[in-house]
Amino acid sequence: MKPNDKQIGSSLNRVDGRLKVTGAAKYSAEYELPNLTYGVLVGSTIAKGRITSLDTKAAQNAPGVLAVISHLNSPKVPGFQPTGKEPSQPQTGGEPLKVFFDDKIRFNDQPIALVVADTLQRARHAARLVQAQYARETHQTNMVAGAKDAFLPSSAKKNPKSPMADYQRGQPDAYQTAALKIEQEYVIPTEHHHPMEMQSITAHWEAPDRLTLYDKTQGTIGTRRDFAKEWNLPEDHVKVIATYVGGAFGNALHSWPHESAAIIGAKVTGRPVKLMLTREQMFTMVGYRPYTWQKIGMSATADGRITAITHESIGQTSSYQEFTESTLQQTRMMYQSPNLTTRYRLAALDVSTPIWMRGPGEATGSFALESAMDEMAHLLKLDPMEFRLRNYTEQDPEKNRPWSTKFLRECYAKGAELVGWNKRQLQPGTLREGDWLLGYGMGVGTFGANRGAAHVSARLQPDGTVLLQCATTDIGPGTGTAMTQIAADTLGLPPERIRFELGQSGFPQAGSQGGSSTVNTVGQAVQDACLALKDRLRELAAPGTPAFATAKKEDVALTDGHLTLPGNAARVPFATLLQQPDAALVNVESKANGADKDKFSMYSFSVHFAEVAVHALTGEVRVRKLVSCADAGTIINLKTAANQMKGGAVGGIGMALMEHAVIDDRYGRYVTKDFADYHVPVQADAPAVEVFFVNQPDYHVNQLGTKGIGEIATIGVAPAIANAVFNATGKRVRELPITPDKLV
Amino acid sequence: MNQFQYVRPTKAQAAIEAVAKDPNARFIAGGTNLVDLMKRGITAPQKLVDINRLPLKQIEHQGSSLRLGALALNSVVANDTQVRERHPLLALALNAGASPQLRNMATVGGNMLQRTRCTYFYDLSMPCNKRQPGTGCGALEGINRMHAIFGHSEQCIAVHPSDMSVALVALDATVQVSGPRGSRSIPFADLHRLPGTTPERDTNLEPGELITAVDVPDSPFTKHVHYQKVRERASYAFALVSAAVALDIENGIIKAARLALGGVAHKPWRLTAAEQVLVGQPATEETFRRVAAVAMQGAKAFKHNEYKLRLAPNALIQALKTAAAA
Amino acid sequence: MATNHDPDLPAPHDEHRRNFLKQSSLLTALALVPSAVVEAAESKLDERVAEAIEKIPLSLKINGKKHKLKVEPRTTLLDLLREDLHLTGTKKGCDYGQCGACTVHVDGLRVNSCLSFAVMHDGQEITTIEGLASGDDLHPMQEAFVKHDGFQCGYCTPGQIMSAVACVREGHAGSEAEIREYMSGNICRCGAYANIVAAIQDVKSGGKKV
Repeated sequence: MKPNDKQIGSSLNRVDGRLKVTGAAKYSAEYELPNLTYGVLVGSTIAKGRITSLDTKAAQNAPGVLAVISHLNSPKVPGFQPTGKEPSQPQTGGEPLKVFFDDKIRFNDQPIALVVADTLQRARHAARLVQAQYARETHQTNMVAGAKDAFLPSSAKKNPKSPMADYQRGQPDAYQTAALKIEQEYVIPTEHHHPMEMQSITAHWEAPDRLTLYDKTQGTIGTRRDFAKEWNLPEDHVKVIATYVGGAFGNALHSWPHESAAIIGAKVTGRPVKLMLTREQMFTMVGYRPYTWQKIGMSATADGRITAITHESIGQTSSYQEFTESTLQQTRMMYQSPNLTTRYRLAALDVSTPIWMRGPGEATGSFALESAMDEMAHLLKLDPMEFRLRNYTEQDPEKNRPWSTKFLRECYAKGAELVGWNKRQLQPGTLREGDWLLGYGMGVGTFGANRGAAHVSARLQPDGTVLLQCATTDIGPGTGTAMTQIAADTLGLPPERIRFELGQSGFPQAGSQGGSSTVNTVGQAVQDACLALKDRLRELAAPGTPAFATAKKEDVALTDGHLTLPGNAARVPFATLLQQPDAALVNVESKANGADKDKFSMYSFSVHFAEVAVHALTGEVRVRKLVSCADAGTIINLKTAANQMKGGAVGGIGMALMEHAVIDDRYGRYVTKDFADYHVPVQADAPAVEVFFVNQPDYHVNQLGTKGIGEIATIGVAPAIANAVFNATGKRVRELPITPDKLV
Repeated sequence: MNQFQYVRPTKAQAAIEAVAKDPNARFIAGGTNLVDLMKRGITAPQKLVDINRLPLKQIEHQGSSLRLGALALNSVVANDTQVRERHPLLALALNAGASPQLRNMATVGGNMLQRTRCTYFYDLSMPCNKRQPGTGCGALEGINRMHAIFGHSEQCIAVHPSDMSVALVALDATVQVSGPRGSRSIPFADLHRLPGTTPERDTNLEPGELITAVDVPDSPFTKHVHYQKVRERASYAFALVSAAVALDIENGIIKAARLALGGVAHKPWRLTAAEQVLVGQPATEETFRRVAAVAMQGAKAFKHNEYKLRLAPNALIQALKTAAAA
Repeated sequence: MATNHDPDLPAPHDEHRRNFLKQSSLLTALALVPSAVVEAAESKLDERVAEAIEKIPLSLKINGKKHKLKVEPRTTLLDLLREDLHLTGTKKGCDYGQCGACTVHVDGLRVNSCLSFAVMHDGQEITTIEGLASGDDLHPMQEAFVKHDGFQCGYCTPGQIMSAVACVREGHAGSEAEIREYMSGNICRCGAYANIVAAIQDVKSGGKKV
């Protein structure tokens, strides 16, 4: 346990809470700029073919319209032009869509024109006046048909050691010849991130070669790089601002056509363009979790030892870009199995390109794996937790290395206790409360405890506060708050004397907020920067006060406007140290975790327990209780971390029970277009979620001991619910979501 | 959205005239459906006649029925003491619809005039006979999970989305209408139409006719009522299927019954034949199962909504059980 | 947004503005505009006239402050707040009344500001998230949201708070189940639902004026 006065491990209120509850926090479509204009995108109404004519006359003549831009008149974007290198060799994995580049249609609702007008109403109206004619080509949007031509990803073809390559240990497909086996197929439909803030950008050319973007992005540096490249500008001529991001869940990890379009619109009109996608466009113009077919074969001995697993997966991607994710990773390392085979394939359809969605890959894979574990336990007449414990891995069976830390067993025990696992009956359909059938299920999740490189600057200000800056973003987890806590503890200052600024590409570089890696990465950099600042202050103090010359940086304290040394009378006022401008400014780079990464396998782990009620007549499923237990290393902020876990659980409820995007394959077009068709959980769907953190540090990841929460909060939730539904009803639903029609 | 002219009369007659003489004019009240449709270009009126300032908000008992002004808000009706006491089924159905915010905007008249949520109706690039006669029905051979199992035609298999209307048709309500040719009453069951060959027409209202009120007759259905709504999430979603049940039970025997289903047809679907079967029968699950089978006679499903053939009778049985136990 | 058309399908309704001017009752429209414009309109229907016709006067009291405005009837209350008055605390999360991010109070009732035209609210009183706190003092619901961490990304938060305040005022915060049902018109994709309920319960039992 940390002492009470420590910020790390406390429940500090969010540092930006006040701004968020008063409406003062500004998101990317909320900046007032002079001469601001509005951009509205027109999408194609066919899935594949060519635009044969585009009538923009009516739109152009509509009041307030400043420009109608399409492939017919778009300025040449330097980055879209062929480089001349290897013209016949497409890039590995394809390339992103180049908006307004040619007449080719690759997916339905592909942006084909941008209308820019002086008001939003006028832009929207004029967008509706654009008329396109097409030469239609036969499209394929059906995954069952598309899967027939599934292929090995290019990355795996090039590199047999790629995680996307086929994996084998022991005998291939050994389950097939076993006596006790299961073999089942699992499907998850296309799911959409649907953050509450729809993708928005305000693009502003401040000079012909200076571009400022107020953009919804999870990575200001990545976005800056993409658009600097697209416009052939030095990176420091592009400024990306994402101070507040209204949720993203992965869909702002990529640069999308609408961003390019807004930048083109601003170029053409010479005025800043604000563009917010519509909810319909959120289905097509940004990414999604790909429809994925999976098959698992598993065999075990009668006493519950897994002897073989084969896990195959085919994920959906677009015709122009290969999107891959680590669907099969959890299967390779979670359970002891001497024989293990995984095969990952892609099916290219005439749809837009997917992107990682919370718990990417693993959330999909764990639905199949953890459902199969439940099926096997049922076949063996074993408690599913006991079955998992019998196959618990004490070291990583994939890499044959020890875990950096693994406290999953502790999570099982605590979760079982909290959910009341002892009430669970082996025989499905046994528990009943009036018209409701009750059941319990569990699902396990894991995700790599990744740590990248990051830069953070720290500066002692004349008022005695410390300002830290980093280009990282906060899409909701509370990054600024966690960093403030880390800085407060490292510097020995109260949190209100720390200011952590983020969300601007001009700040010291950091990677995108994704893959549960921000606290691991930026947290370490903050700690390093604070220590470096102490050292700098010590150096500044040393000439006048020799005691500081020999002091260790860790021992230096910032006390009441003075640099002090505990146990020593030495005291130097900050003002003395700050005589030179920028004297007390440090800019530190923390490197990605190096040596330890090759010696240990580093993962966060979670287990989720669900208690569900299924209406015997109507097939409605209500999640009554969820218990989420996480081995995520040190927890920096108990309040925000628990919130993140609860939120991941709600995401898992959506995945399990309601989320499915549906395409009418005749048109290759979504029939789910908004929140009335595509359901995400509402307040009434969300049960009380109990969260338990093991809260044991993993110092192989970083010196804070953090491992990451964002993904494991969701991974394993959907199968926990599906397994609970089986336990309640005896019905095994292998194609998500579990809607009433599948149970009635 | 195109520009439109906006007028806000304070007298019903002026409002009616404004719409009656202009085929491109529409009334607007709560706007929760119309504004949505206009934003998406599904409908593009050139004149909106805002009726919100007309004196049509009152709820009062007159003679032997409760009169709900057409502009009474859904939330106000649902919380009204008289409604809750006399017609608790209506309050239940209202509260099962939409969200608290939408119920604060939606009016009684507007709720019944909601247009279908059929996804093909909502997508301008897809065929829809209701939106654009002659283009075909996208749902017939398409994704028809949400669609009708009763009363559909080759032209249209859409369903009516209102919850309130399911209760009102069960409760034998009457719609009061004023039009350019005077006033008339329409039995609620005759307000909405089946699609037939004219799916573009949702109701039997004539151009310019304005709903002024709905009368819900006094009835013995003040206790044994239930509105069972089955949806894909716990709240704030349109029904897969819903069932409105009102029973008059004496000594365990059903004296009278009113039944209707929602989410199954182009109109709120009254089950008169099934009601007859209930009369004189004991209020038991066995009876309810028998009645549910009768209720489903004539149902025909499509590729993706075959589940409604099981869900609808089950929802009805559940509603009957809950109502009987109330 | 797209209405560009599939060649196999008939064209959508023609909705050009000129048709609007031609077909709608011109006299009624002109009654709304100053006489100089009427004169011009009688001689020639040009764009300037159209513009004048298109904007109509509107007075609103927003967060206690009176606004005399001229707006196009097609401007929604939400777009008026965000784009014209720069009150961006009210959020656009779907624009179709399906998420609740745009919740404001109109004459004390919580409504979705995206689904009504601003002109329909002439003379009414609007309260947005910016009008909830009194000076530097947060409204108890705002305080409770901070204390219970009733949000993550913060985008749905203003709508949640406006809805939560109404929920308590309406008397719909009697139990956890009731709160969950009556807060279901506000989607939080981050999933901070449990904390939102905790915040509301805290305010409900806290005894402060809501």
